[in-house]
Amino acid sequence: MATLSALCTLEGHQDQVWCVAWNPAGTLLASCGSDKTIRIWAEEGSQWVCKSVLTEGHQRTIRTVAWSPCGNYLASASFDATIGIWSRKEGEFECIATLEGHENEVKAVAWASSGNLLATCSRDKSVWIWEVTEDEEFECASVLSAHTQDVKSCTWHPNRDVLASCSYDNTIKLFKEEIDDWSCYATLESHDSTVWKVCFDSEGHRLASVSDDKTVKIWQEYLPGNQEGIPTVGNEGTWKCVCTLSGYHDRTIFDIDWSQVNGRLVTGCGDDGIRIFSEEVGSDKNAPSFSMSASVRKAHEQDVNSVAWNPKVSSLLASCSDDGLVKLWRFKDGE
Amino acid sequence: MAGFSSALQLTDLNDFITPSQECIKPVKIDRTAGKVGKIRIEDDGTYYNVSDTGVETKLQKAQITLNDCLACSGCITSAESVLITQQSQDELYRVLQENMAHIANNESFKLVVVSVSPQALASLAAKYSLSMADANRKLVGFFKKLGVHHVFDTTFSRNFSLLESCREFVRRYKESEVNKKVLPMLASACPGWICYAEKTHGSYILPYISTVKSPQQIMGSLDYFARCMGATPDNIYHVTVMPCFDKKLEASRSDFYNDVYSTRDVDCVITSGEVDLMLAKENISLADVEDGTLDTLFGADAMVGHTGGGSGGYLEHIARYAAGQILGTELQKLNFKSLRNQDFQEVTIEADGKPTLKMALAYGFRNIQNIVQKIKRNKCPYHFVEIMACPSGCTNGGGQIRLAEGESTLKDRLADVTGLYNSVPVQSPWSVESVTSLYEEWLGGVDSEKCRQMLHTQYHEVEKMTNALTIKW
Repeated sequence: MATLSALCTLEGHQDQVWCVAWNPAGTLLASCGSDKTIRIWAEEGSQWVCKSVLTEGHQRTIRTVAWSPCGNYLASASFDATIGIWSRKEGEFECIATLEGHENEVKAVAWASSGNLLATCSRDKSVWIWEVTEDEEFECASVLSAHTQDVKSCTWHPNRDVLASCSYDNTIKLFKEEIDDWSCYATLESHDSTVWKVCFDSEGHRLASVSDDKTVKIWQEYLPGNQEGIPTVGNEGTWKCVCTLSGYHDRTIFDIDWSQVNGRLVTGCGDDGIRIFSEEVGSDKNAPSFSMSASVRKAHEQDVNSVAWNPKVSSLLASCSDDGLVKLWRFKDGE
Repeated sequence: MAGFSSALQLTDLNDFITPSQECIKPVKIDRTAGKVGKIRIEDDGTYYNVSDTGVETKLQKAQITLNDCLACSGCITSAESVLITQQSQDELYRVLQENMAHIANNESFKLVVVSVSPQALASLAAKYSLSMADANRKLVGFFKKLGVHHVFDTTFSRNFSLLESCREFVRRYKESEVNKKVLPMLASACPGWICYAEKTHGSYILPYISTVKSPQQIMGSLDYFARCMGATPDNIYHVTVMPCFDKKLEASRSDFYNDVYSTRDVDCVITSGEVDLMLAKENISLADVEDGTLDTLFGADAMVGHTGGGSGGYLEHIARYAAGQILGTELQKLNFKSLRNQDFQEVTIEADGKPTLKMALAYGFRNIQNIVQKIKRNKCPYHFVEIMACPSGCTNGGGQIRLAEGESTLKDRLADVTGLYNSVPVQSPWSVESVTSLYEEWLGGVDSEKCRQMLHTQYHEVEKMTNALTIKW
């Protein structure tokens, strides 16, 4: 039987913690929250300690932090309608740019795998794509108004310049660059309520989404000329919901992360729980079966806002909560 | 949502309310002094104040006008619902029918004038496969049959917009030696951009915006026309046909309200798409309409246009004038260089031993963003930027005729509209006789006080409202 056990608790934030994010090397964990600070945690000896506290970057809650693929930059999305870009040099962080343009609360920020593009989304219903120029300038490449409501989160495809976003309008949208501008090329509808988070698997042919409707959905991409005979348009694949996990979560699911190392899913839920899901051996690609491998029902005192697998150590994951704490967990496979 | 430009749509927050439901704009109501008694609500929803002595007085309803909406930093969708009822083809029909009835009864009536923008005309010409000249004659015929008295082309008033923009640019360029806040000059003809700048960027960006009125509003200021007709502005019902919904907002600005005659300079703006709906209502194709006689009050008996692209040619005219005035050189061809995308292009104007002039076209919201942020960070390399809210500019305005099922693609339609727009022979605004003479007769000379009043306007910062209750996680 697989187990999930608490490794340590990281105290320091003065208020709700909204997001945890590992740097690509898996050596640093960034967290952010309502106390308007970003904290950087690292392992020293056998202890995880707070290495830096980044303050004065934002005037309101910091909702999301994201590391650039090179690990030298950290982006922060804040309710003050701006995005902060922090440069890490010799262990020190410096705010090198503040991106303005969103009308109000910025909910998420994500770097493309190339590192040259940044995506942000906001309560103003728009998704923005920013290009990073050679001299560390950020220029607006597109403003996408495809969603009809608050856009909760956005994520880049692991190896293509394709962006996925999810919204209070219950949909997931996929964007790509056309001749002269970006545009939405697919809308994924199946959730009955707000979609809080989407993430790709390591290959990028599958998407997982979590929602206020208490379900996790798995989406499969069918490329043109697929054996299953699923119709496609142009050069783009069609995304179909192939699996819905319901009955596991008691409240809104706020976050999901697909491990790039062990292929498992972890969810953070409003019922204070953390759950691990694994695809069953020999499951059908077109109708996969996932089962819950492990769970901690009372992982935090309050809502679990964010969960993140360490990108290198397959057994390590981080979580954070409204209870003001960041926690690290050890996942042990039963086999 | 109606086809407002994306810049305007983005200023709309989470708002899907109508003004009657949930508008938070405080309204001043004149109250009579004295003790408040009871308030009774009648079955029909009217409110009565019942005083201690039992005297009943009907209470006034709070009414939100479009202007209240525009002055508020809240929603634009609330403004929209007010707007749609105040300026639409239905309203135009209502006015025309009322007017016809007055005429039939020998009562005083309004002189109905329609000013058509060439971009809107190009959209109609493209849809009905007509040349610009044919579409123009037929549109005049169509409007006159409905009871319109005069139809004009806003190219005429754009002459003034262009000339004033050229002069303002050179004036600012000279002033920039002592005042850094005058350059870059930003074009002012696009109301979507103006509204966005006022609501979102306020005091730091407004000083850069050219004070020159748009062609629509200069057309509205031409009280010269009223004088020629022996009418006063309040006896004229002025309609414009525009490629753009945002123009409706522009026409309703308080800056364009004539206090002396208590009337708007432009009473009603309808889009080319709405004209097409009128044609559909009359069950006629524009191609089958009988030609009308063109009005030649302003001396134009054939269609003319301006060089410099589908958004009016502001950059081109300013570049040529500035080259002459500042660099002492005559420009041949302007070399546009596309930057980040097709809607962001720059022009560099060089002359030996003189400082270089740099100008740019920035169309669409994303490019507006980059210009605004560059200005904010003091990194804008341009002296003039022709800013328009719509990608591809005004020929692609949000009010243009939508494609019907089975018609060509959007791209092909836009190419047709732009091609037709550019098919009209061009003239230089500097050599239009009637313009020169209007400067003398009507405005009292170039740079006069009347020029400032009639051809220029001002902008107002809209204060941001922050309401903690509206936060959503």
